[in-house]
Amino acid sequence: MTGARGRILESIRSGLVRAALPSAEHAGVPDAKAGRGGSIEAMVERFGAVLTALSGRVHRAASPEVPALVADIAAAHGVRSFLAWDETELGCPGLLEGLAARGLARVDYRMPTDPDARIRLAQALEPIGLGVTGGHAAIAENGAVVLVSGPGRGRLVSLLPAVHVAIVSERRLRPTLADLVREEPRLLDAGSNVVLVAGPSRTADIEMALSHGVHGPKHVHVVLTA
Amino acid sequence: MSDAARAFHQRIDAALADRALGDALALTTGRLAGGRAAAMAAFADAEAARDEARRIRAAAIARLDQLLERFEREATARGCRVHWAETAADATRIVTAIAQEARVTLAVKSKSMVSEEIELNAALERSGVRVVETDLGEFVVQIAGDRPSHIITPIIHRSRHDVARLFREKANAAPEDVADIPAMTAFARRTLRAEFLQAGMGISGANVAVAETGTVCLVTNEGNGRLTTTLPRVHVALVGIERIVPSAADLAAVLSLLARSATGQALSVYTSLISGPRRAGAGPGPAKGGEPDGPDDVHVVFVDNGRSRLLGGPLAEILYCIRCGACLNVCPVYQKVGGHAYGGVYPGPVGSVVMPGLLGLEAWSELAQASSLCGACREACPVRIDLPRLLLEVRRQAAAKRLAPRWLRVAMPVYAAVARRPRLYRSAVAAAGLLGRMVAKGGWIRWLPGPLGAWTASRDFPAPATRSFLQQHRLRKEAAR
Repeated sequence: MTGARGRILESIRSGLVRAALPSAEHAGVPDAKAGRGGSIEAMVERFGAVLTALSGRVHRAASPEVPALVADIAAAHGVRSFLAWDETELGCPGLLEGLAARGLARVDYRMPTDPDARIRLAQALEPIGLGVTGGHAAIAENGAVVLVSGPGRGRLVSLLPAVHVAIVSERRLRPTLADLVREEPRLLDAGSNVVLVAGPSRTADIEMALSHGVHGPKHVHVVLTA
Repeated sequence: MSDAARAFHQRIDAALADRALGDALALTTGRLAGGRAAAMAAFADAEAARDEARRIRAAAIARLDQLLERFEREATARGCRVHWAETAADATRIVTAIAQEARVTLAVKSKSMVSEEIELNAALERSGVRVVETDLGEFVVQIAGDRPSHIITPIIHRSRHDVARLFREKANAAPEDVADIPAMTAFARRTLRAEFLQAGMGISGANVAVAETGTVCLVTNEGNGRLTTTLPRVHVALVGIERIVPSAADLAAVLSLLARSATGQALSVYTSLISGPRRAGAGPGPAKGGEPDGPDDVHVVFVDNGRSRLLGGPLAEILYCIRCGACLNVCPVYQKVGGHAYGGVYPGPVGSVVMPGLLGLEAWSELAQASSLCGACREACPVRIDLPRLLLEVRRQAAAKRLAPRWLRVAMPVYAAVARRPRLYRSAVAAAGLLGRMVAKGGWIRWLPGPLGAWTASRDFPAPATRSFLQQHRLRKEAAR
């Protein structure tokens, strides 16, 4: 389709020459928002309020407390096995060991390239009730956790199970997405899949009535570690 | 009146006669518009953000060719395959070929307006690929054999009872599956989960494309966008060529307005930023060290389908649109007639420019007549598109192509000739006032002859004042002296 490519670009170029586009008259809006947002405490408070309003749950814990906290969440949902990122990717040393000690079995997986094997594995993973991930960052303004895919950081972990627990350091809170991108201009290149998750899956397609857990997790817990 | 116009009027009449639709529209558009207003009011500096977003969109469109080439280069370097489709038929051919090459028999789809525009589902089904819509609203649309009536919330026009009946009749739901909305949501989850797990291909649109990293940005609230682009081994993203912005910073600025304008959320629940297929590890063999999941192949299909042609003309500003649907929710016409009355894929003020712009004036210019030009759309637009100007431009082009009704084509030059001659104009106004007062009853004109009857068929016209505006103005000036 090189022909199509050339023709489309040619059509765009000839259009731009004739373009009757209104000018971008507001060029260079001063960036007043940079550095705004202040203390970690203020961001923790904002993030907590926003995520709670989205029906997510926010916890604060020191690293050693996290295994017990996650095990309690698992127990509350009657979950015995879970998906998780590799220990090095969770930002919480001892978490997987702590969960194993509490009788929770981690299921590790790798999607094969063979189509049928892939389907069989996906079906086998589907009933698992809990996924544990480590957030790259969190955004106070909108309650989102930033998850970056990569080796040891599967995307299905935060997607297939009905319960998702994300562990994020308080120090990784940023006021806005714009602030995070300003700090890390190459954020989109951190992994082949960067996803912002702001609370549990939801829909209001039928009569504008809010309903949770339509495709993604119904329960989202964010654990902010000190 | 053309056939297209007559059909449009019939759809409007049908919509206006539908009481349930009217109630549903009032509820939904009121809720969405209210949510938007609240979200924008709570936003740090909403007006500056709109200026910035407009600047970004304008700057991107002004160098669209370079950004598309940059995207292609960056996405290719990250393992994507980039395709270019001039027309809807080209786009469906490309996607069908990808499906056949990968031996796909089942495709899951995340909501995509471009896919509706190119009528992708029908083309795939014809080539033996079963397609399942996975957005809850789009799933209902699909099993009903219906069309979306809003670009954000596709089943505004359906009640919970409609959905329950469809699930029972068309999707084998048990009575307890449709007991209430959460039960129906759970039923959809179960039904669609099974499809997700087996699908060989996931098809999505793109809310934004980022040139500097070849990234496709996809936002959903349900998570179906994530499942569509994660579970199947092949992901195909349909990207309208105007969706592009240069950088991550530009994306952040657009995202800060997109969900606020669409639904009143600060951000959609899921924002997926996809830069190529899953990556292999540094170690030997694909099984070791690489990413544990994600598609093995990602295709990006750039769809032109009339967009580049708009660039050269006065409708080009519509290419700034980020498809939030805010203009639909505030439009007094959309609020009354809903999306189906417009008859095309894109309804409301934006649709009344996009449809004739992309698909031709002959079939679609009449849509632009269904506007009072009140300007609510322009006020709501997060990128400040001057929609009333564009609607007038569509009308102007239609008139130039002699698509306007004949009586109007005759009447307007007569009016212009009279209005350019002050003395003649004043006499004409006096005569019209006199005639108007003669046919008026009780201060209202309820009937007018000939083509003017189109006005009075559905509305009363206040009787002209005994003194014209000019006469009153002169009297006031004299009194003030």
